[in-house]
Amino acid sequence: MEIKVRYRGEDKVLTFEKDKVKAKDILKALGLSKDYAFVVKNGEIVEENEPITQNDEVRVVNAISGGLL
Amino acid sequence: MRKCIKCGEKAQVYLPQHRLSLCKQHYLEWFDNRVEKTIKEFKMFNRKDKVLVAVSGGKDSLSLWKSLINLGYDADGFYINLGIGEYSQKSYELAKSFSEKVGKTLHVVSLYKEMVPIPEMRKYDSRPACSVCGTVKRYYMNKFAKENGYKIIATGHNLDDEAAVLFSNTLNWSVEYLKRQYPVLPEEDGFIRKVKPLCKISEKESAMYAVLSGIDYIEEECPFSEGATSIDYKMFLAQLEEKSPGTKLRFYSEFLRKMYPILKQSEEKPKLQPCKICGEPSTNEICAFCNLKMKISQKEAKA
Ligand SMILES: [Zn+2]
Ligand SMILES: [Zn+2]
Repeated sequence: MEIKVRYRGEDKVLTFEKDKVKAKDILKALGLSKDYAFVVKNGEIVEENEPITQNDEVRVVNAISGGLL
Repeated sequence: MRKCIKCGEKAQVYLPQHRLSLCKQHYLEWFDNRVEKTIKEFKMFNRKDKVLVAVSGGKDSLSLWKSLINLGYDADGFYINLGIGEYSQKSYELAKSFSEKVGKTLHVVSLYKEMVPIPEMRKYDSRPACSVCGTVKRYYMNKFAKENGYKIIATGHNLDDEAAVLFSNTLNWSVEYLKRQYPVLPEEDGFIRKVKPLCKISEKESAMYAVLSGIDYIEEECPFSEGATSIDYKMFLAQLEEKSPGTKLRFYSEFLRKMYPILKQSEEKPKLQPCKICGEPSTNEICAFCNLKMKISQKEAKA
């Protein structure tokens, strides 16, 4: 299954082997941890076990930023 | 399904270190309350003070500004156009449109006008771009605040920033830095008071607040921050945090509570004098900013 996500100002297409995808699978596919990243589905922040389908509008937010210490 | 602990509606946010599930409305309320508590705890400022928020267009500075407005503080924004190509252009537009949305003033200083943009400046200074950028930002912010009657400069540094700095300073035993790692730097000899009201808000909490408040912020990283060591420290602390929620907050707040008072006793205040060229406070005869400016004009003369 392919899911379109918006991540750091860009559109990405993620491909999954399975048909039932959860929010945590999306974070994993992008190499992110729930400690600093989260999934926004149709405008709502969702928990890691939330199912995601191809019809959902998905945005992934990575809160970590670099720069000067 | 998780339910909001306050109202029983569906929760959008779960905060493991506080063991709290909250709906959108109650999360925004929780965040504002936490900012208010931090302001009070460290006696940062009150509702009579004119506050200048250092705005980058990112989630932290815009969330901070929004929260201060919600809490009824008198807060305007200050943006420095660093001239870093598309990144600066976009972050400026986002900061500007936010200020229009909330109906507050955004003061803007442009490096194109004042000196040279950061990418240009890197040719004249061998330090990492972030250090050069820091010198320039601190200088203009302090000068602007003073000349325009702002008593306080508020920056969007969050818990993850502070914990990463603390970790780095501890690994290196940078005692002189540790002595100054406090969320309030008092006003003195020409320096405006500087505060960090988000110091107990994690980076993720700040991003969730921005998203749930409908704030459009710049998600891209500054192109010069790539490979910054702060990210490594943050990732490492994130691993600890995942195993044991609350580690970062404990590390930082217990430092402030137990270690900072001990270190502070031996703090020797650096002697400040007005810079010979610009008059801003400095530890040397000529301040870091004027030094940088001189390097630029010397090299330009040679070229
Ligand atoms: Zn609620
Ligand atoms: Zn100077």
